[in-house]
Amino acid sequence: MKNSVTGYSFPDFPGRSRLTGRKSGIEYPVTVFLLLCVLPLAAQKLDDCRTLRHHGKLADARSCFAHLAAGPDPYLRAEGLWGLEQYKEANDQFRDALKAHPKSVEIRVRWGRMFLERFNKDEAKGLFEEALEIKENDAAASLGLALAAAESYSSAAVHFATHATELDPKMAEARELLAYLALEDSNPEKAAEEADKALAIDAESLDAMAIHASIDWLNDNKQSPWLDRILKINPVYGEAYSTAGHFFVLNRRYREGITFYRKALNLNPRLWEARAQLGIQLMRLGEEQEARAQLEQAYQAGYKNAETVNSLRLLDSYKNFNTYETSNTILKLQKKEADLLRPYIEAELKRAIATYEKKYQLKLKGPVQLEVYPDHEDFAVRTMGMPGLGALGVTFGSVVAMDSPSGRPPGTFHWASTLWHELSHVFVLQATNHRVPRWFTEGMAVYEETAAAPDWGDRLDPEAIAAIQKKKLLPVAELDRGFIRPSYPAQVVISYFQAGKICSYIAEKWGYGKLLEMIQSYAKLESTPDAIRNNLGLSTEEFDQQFLAWLEAQTRITVEHFAEWKKQLKEMTGDLRAKKYDDVLREGAAIRDFYPDYVEPGSVYELMADAYEAKGDKPSARKELEKYSAVGGRSPLLIKRLATFQEEQGEPKKAAATLDRLNYIYPEDPDLHKRLGDLWLAQNNLPGAIREYQAVLAAKPLDPAGAHFELAGALRKANRLEDARDQVLLALEAAPGYKPAQRLLLEISK
Amino acid sequence: MAVAPPLGGGVRIALFLLLGAALLPGASFYVTVAGLGGEPEYEQRFATQAQEIDKLIRAGNPDAKVQTLFGPQATKAQFESVLAAIAKESKPADSLVLMLIGHGSFDGVDYKINLPGPDLSAVELATLLDRIPAGHQLVVNMTSASGGSRAVLEKPNRAVITATKSGSEKNATIFARYWVEALRDPAADTDKNETVSALEAFVYAEQKTAQFYETQKRLATEHPILEDRVASRIALLHIGATQAAAGTPEKKALLARREELEQQIDTLKYEKAATPPEEYKKQLQILLLELAKTQAELDK
Repeated sequence: MKNSVTGYSFPDFPGRSRLTGRKSGIEYPVTVFLLLCVLPLAAQKLDDCRTLRHHGKLADARSCFAHLAAGPDPYLRAEGLWGLEQYKEANDQFRDALKAHPKSVEIRVRWGRMFLERFNKDEAKGLFEEALEIKENDAAASLGLALAAAESYSSAAVHFATHATELDPKMAEARELLAYLALEDSNPEKAAEEADKALAIDAESLDAMAIHASIDWLNDNKQSPWLDRILKINPVYGEAYSTAGHFFVLNRRYREGITFYRKALNLNPRLWEARAQLGIQLMRLGEEQEARAQLEQAYQAGYKNAETVNSLRLLDSYKNFNTYETSNTILKLQKKEADLLRPYIEAELKRAIATYEKKYQLKLKGPVQLEVYPDHEDFAVRTMGMPGLGALGVTFGSVVAMDSPSGRPPGTFHWASTLWHELSHVFVLQATNHRVPRWFTEGMAVYEETAAAPDWGDRLDPEAIAAIQKKKLLPVAELDRGFIRPSYPAQVVISYFQAGKICSYIAEKWGYGKLLEMIQSYAKLESTPDAIRNNLGLSTEEFDQQFLAWLEAQTRITVEHFAEWKKQLKEMTGDLRAKKYDDVLREGAAIRDFYPDYVEPGSVYELMADAYEAKGDKPSARKELEKYSAVGGRSPLLIKRLATFQEEQGEPKKAAATLDRLNYIYPEDPDLHKRLGDLWLAQNNLPGAIREYQAVLAAKPLDPAGAHFELAGALRKANRLEDARDQVLLALEAAPGYKPAQRLLLEISK
Repeated sequence: MAVAPPLGGGVRIALFLLLGAALLPGASFYVTVAGLGGEPEYEQRFATQAQEIDKLIRAGNPDAKVQTLFGPQATKAQFESVLAAIAKESKPADSLVLMLIGHGSFDGVDYKINLPGPDLSAVELATLLDRIPAGHQLVVNMTSASGGSRAVLEKPNRAVITATKSGSEKNATIFARYWVEALRDPAADTDKNETVSALEAFVYAEQKTAQFYETQKRLATEHPILEDRVASRIALLHIGATQAAAGTPEKKALLARREELEQQIDTLKYEKAATPPEEYKKQLQILLLELAKTQAELDK
């Protein structure tokens, strides 16, 4: 978690293990006493309070909870204080209640539910688990675990919620949760079915009705009859709109999500979660002023969950960013690296937009905003609360946020590939009016990465090989589940791979035009089975069968020889260490083509290049590294080594191209720019040389005088004499006795 | 005074103020010691770095007296013997540069460099150095925990560079790699006077070390420190032709003119913040052009 820089802090609501020992029934909040002064002294029951709240009689409910809070029973006092949003005091009472009833399952579950409400999932889980240790078959505790798991889109949520319904078939809340989870999994049929089951148990199940209403709204049925039913039971039930807001955001329909959160707040301005979500969605769409206002309002009201606090801190950090606007782009770069990155990123952003406008036959409605974060934690704030990896980049409509190349170790991140990936989302989202299943837009984005350049994008990785081997790929109609609620850790990555391959398969067999037609189908709200049937003439089952056959044929050699490849690679590494170079080369030649996509550290290419070089055969070492680079190898050290071989072997143009490739991977290396600048200057590529020497300067070199001088030389060669003079003066300002610069100044001044 | 790790305005100003300082006359002694590696990888790395320094120093300073100890030779006795010999030979006008590579340790009281056989403590080293008359001394302690030696070694006219801020930074260091690189890379000569001073080498190696940890996304376990700016006056090596001494009255006049222009440039730069940018640029250009012409005349 990011350190606080601005004073926004997380709540001081403590974990139960750190509680101080306040005596029960001694100190009450002033509000409790004030409420008690105006209330009749009739005894109140917890269920009465809940019923009042359920029917939207919020003032009466507060009075009711205030009475509970003043009662003799610490557990009911806790419930009362919780109902009054006096969380700290409620926490004390729960603690006292548990002291009085150390074996109570109910108190543990309720206390856990309050922890869950107050952003402390770990404490909550601990209490639910304790409850289950005392009573193995407690449905409420199982539901608690389901709710905790649901917060992180864990597949365990479905398991625990289902278990809760088995333990207590009359538990409507568990059915409501199952409906919610099904809708998150893009399965509206099951969601509706579960909601109906909840309503069969409890005809006033507001959250089940909210699921039905959300399904109607997601299907563009604006007049859902379910809303009237909800409001008749509870006229201020803003939670129904808030639920819909969540599903619209999950489906990347951010603007509509914002509208629903606003409606939720119109009904009940004290729905702090809705207010915080409204702020976060506004921030995602670049509306920073209102975003801050909403988030601060939630924060001031004590709603200090990680998303709210970190979003506010991120908004504060924007003062450290520069913004560059053109006719169709808004680029936000951290000040420290803005000069260095801007020429590369802005050019690539514009190239991607121009390319996609042609490919998708679509003109964007407005500029694309790209935010580049050198601190991965800042970027992570942008994806908090979202399912999936969100690891490198994320798109919110026409706002894209991504890691900076400086935010990750060199060679682990291809920023240009990520940029093209995210830009594809911008186009697909606009083309479908945001009505596109996750698997398809991710598949298109993955496909576009390698379409932009074959060495971009992700390679076939061992996890995908294992998934193909073990037949763990999902049917296309269920592929969204792999992104939203993975059932095993690698499933998200594998789902990206699978979705990308599906798009490649469609493009290869039916042509790229079919992908565009599928985009149109999704825009018309067709389901995946309909989109596949209407455009490809196949059922999803037939499609899966054909796709898997194609994929298996494509990956057969790698999958079949994977174990052998792994074993041999290990031997090669040992042989290289033992300087058995001939063995390394023999083994490498035998296994390299079993798994040509493997370009991670210690690849066959690298080991063979090492062995060739050790034997003094640099031309062969160079060939191995050329293959490595062509397949998509990204290690700056190996790429620079390849460029050195190419230079040494009289191929300066190839060396320049090799180094230029590194600009799209890790441009934060002054040595790269200096070498490339020198090569291009010698090849008379003056704009290229000038750009590279400018990059050297932007990287704040150790030798500023030398860097200014080299830029001056390139500018002079390009006949930009005034600019050259400025640079040579800067060189001499730093080092007045710098003789080559003095000579250049004299030359320019003739 | 400590040089703060980031090369900020403070260090730049210091460099600027010291630009006019003449490099030292007298003989130059260079001693490099690579201590015990413990593991083959470190043994080889330390020895290679010491040999590389030896080669670079000899190439850049043909007249220098260079001694390098590494591997089994680098014992405490041998080290003491080398320093004792310099103590006999050197004079106050001379300079001594001692470079230590390897593993060090610090027990909260005393620092020791690990050597084959008995180790040498900072207190013992300070005693040996105190006996050397050379009036300009530089100790570059690049070992782990080297910060623990600083307080004992530093004294007037002895600059101390350490790879770590304190004795508690105990991980193996990478500073030595970049110190060697500074001696090899002409970019380290930031004032372009064709001589790499100790300060220039420190700034180069310190920045590269910081970049290494930043790029690798690793927590920095070493924070190099330079005590005392005397280091800026100690030339580590020359990387180009040095200026021929002025022989004729014409040359003497040109040298005087060059010095005058350099002073005027320094003054102008000092007043940069208070001078309108266009005026500053105009004046700077005039002075730099004049300086370039003067230098061209000198080089004829």
